[in-house]
Amino acid sequence: MNKNNEQFWKQIIKKVRTWARLNSIWAVHFNSGSCNGCDIEILATLTPRYDVERFGIKLEGSPRHADVLIVTGPVTRQARERLIRTYEQMPEPKFVISVGSCSISGGVFEGCYNVGGSVDEVIPVDVYIPGCPPRPEAIIDGIVQLLASLKGDEPRKMARPVNVEEIPA
Amino acid sequence: MNTLTPLITLLIFPAGLTLILVGMFYEWVDRKLVARFQNRIGPRWFQPFADAVKLFAKEQITPAIVNPYLFFGLPVAALAGALTSALYVPLMGLTPASNFPGDLIVTIYLLSLPTMCVGLAGWNNSGRFSLIGATRTLTQLFAYEAPFLLALLGPALVAGSWQINTINRFTQDHWLILTQPVGFIVALIGLMGKLELPPFDAPEAETEIVAGALTEYSGRGLAMFKIGKSVELIVGLCLVASFYLGGLNGVPSFLFKTLILLLGMTMLQSLLTRLRIDQTVGLWWRFGAILVLAQLLVIILVKGFLP
Ligand code: SF4
Repeated sequence: MNKNNEQFWKQIIKKVRTWARLNSIWAVHFNSGSCNGCDIEILATLTPRYDVERFGIKLEGSPRHADVLIVTGPVTRQARERLIRTYEQMPEPKFVISVGSCSISGGVFEGCYNVGGSVDEVIPVDVYIPGCPPRPEAIIDGIVQLLASLKGDEPRKMARPVNVEEIPA
Repeated sequence: MNTLTPLITLLIFPAGLTLILVGMFYEWVDRKLVARFQNRIGPRWFQPFADAVKLFAKEQITPAIVNPYLFFGLPVAALAGALTSALYVPLMGLTPASNFPGDLIVTIYLLSLPTMCVGLAGWNNSGRFSLIGATRTLTQLFAYEAPFLLALLGPALVAGSWQINTINRFTQDHWLILTQPVGFIVALIGLMGKLELPPFDAPEAETEIVAGALTEYSGRGLAMFKIGKSVELIVGLCLVASFYLGGLNGVPSFLFKTLILLLGMTMLQSLLTRLRIDQTVGLWWRFGAILVLAQLLVIILVKGFLP
């Protein structure tokens, strides 16, 4: 009986936690070398026309407050370490959305002398949003897909820790 | 049973949980109204609650450089200060849970406790954004605190008491907004400064200094600061409404008057743009304080010569 009770409360708490997580998403935006096209689309997503606050999505300034890291652009050699640091600063549970063709594959910057590659070579990515740049509707759809994947019960793989000092330049 | 009743009084009614939930409701009204003024749909009604639950369920990161006792103690102190100040105001239009002569001053100082805690928290974190945020928070505290206090002193002088309950009973048949409009405006804008709402949000300007003094806070600490702020909002609204808008004598009058005040505040919020910190200080000391002092002088003279 007691054990059942405990199980029951654990279930309830888990449900409430998932519900809160799904309904309150604070994002922080990081430009790892984008041409600014994607950044402007992200800003457009936050304007009154699309009004993402009705879904509880809010752009925060500090990675410490954020749940979702929105990365735009290919990862340049300069931005690589900063991107990892920003990711490491976020508290668990954290998710990464990579926006734009460049952040997925390097895009038009692929092969540049200063470009390291795509975002998922540096940090684990949960959702990819293709497009050059993707429309605000596409970005909102990407976030909705992230939410749908959070609803599932299967445990998410934890992000592996990266030691910044050990990364080759 | 005997121990249960005070516990329920403390945690659920009239203080504690109810207060926090009502505070969240007011925060939602604030955000929703601002959104409507900006032609947006705005957040759903449970948004502040979902935010708080999510923050409580998140990991809390302790930066290596901080003093851990201060880091964990300050959010608790901020929330406790805000909740304690609610004991002395006619919340929900009911008689205050506790009162003694001079509780007006205690309430005002308890209300500035969260701001002090935010300032200390920024100093404790010693990141550059936190430090700038903390200096701005404290500078702004010095700017609005004196005019806000003076604006609340006007009704106290007229009522001839320093006890919030007595003043509240006095104002129920004297609408002081008619005789002291300057004091009302200064108190309202002072409340906006206290809550760091636009145009006084320079201390947490996210376009310049990330998130101000709370940049390094995550999870529980941040949630407690946020809840403290919404409790402060409701206590402040309650004070101003009971002093200037004809007192509070029941739940309907409380809801009606505080929501009207909140509507005015959201209008100002969406109308005005952020002031620089020196402009904020200049505004308060050059206009706010002088106007309120002049009004206080008039009140004292009138009270002295027209018995
Ligand atoms: S995907 Fe297109 S818009 Fe976005 S950073 Fe790359 S080139 Fe610019």
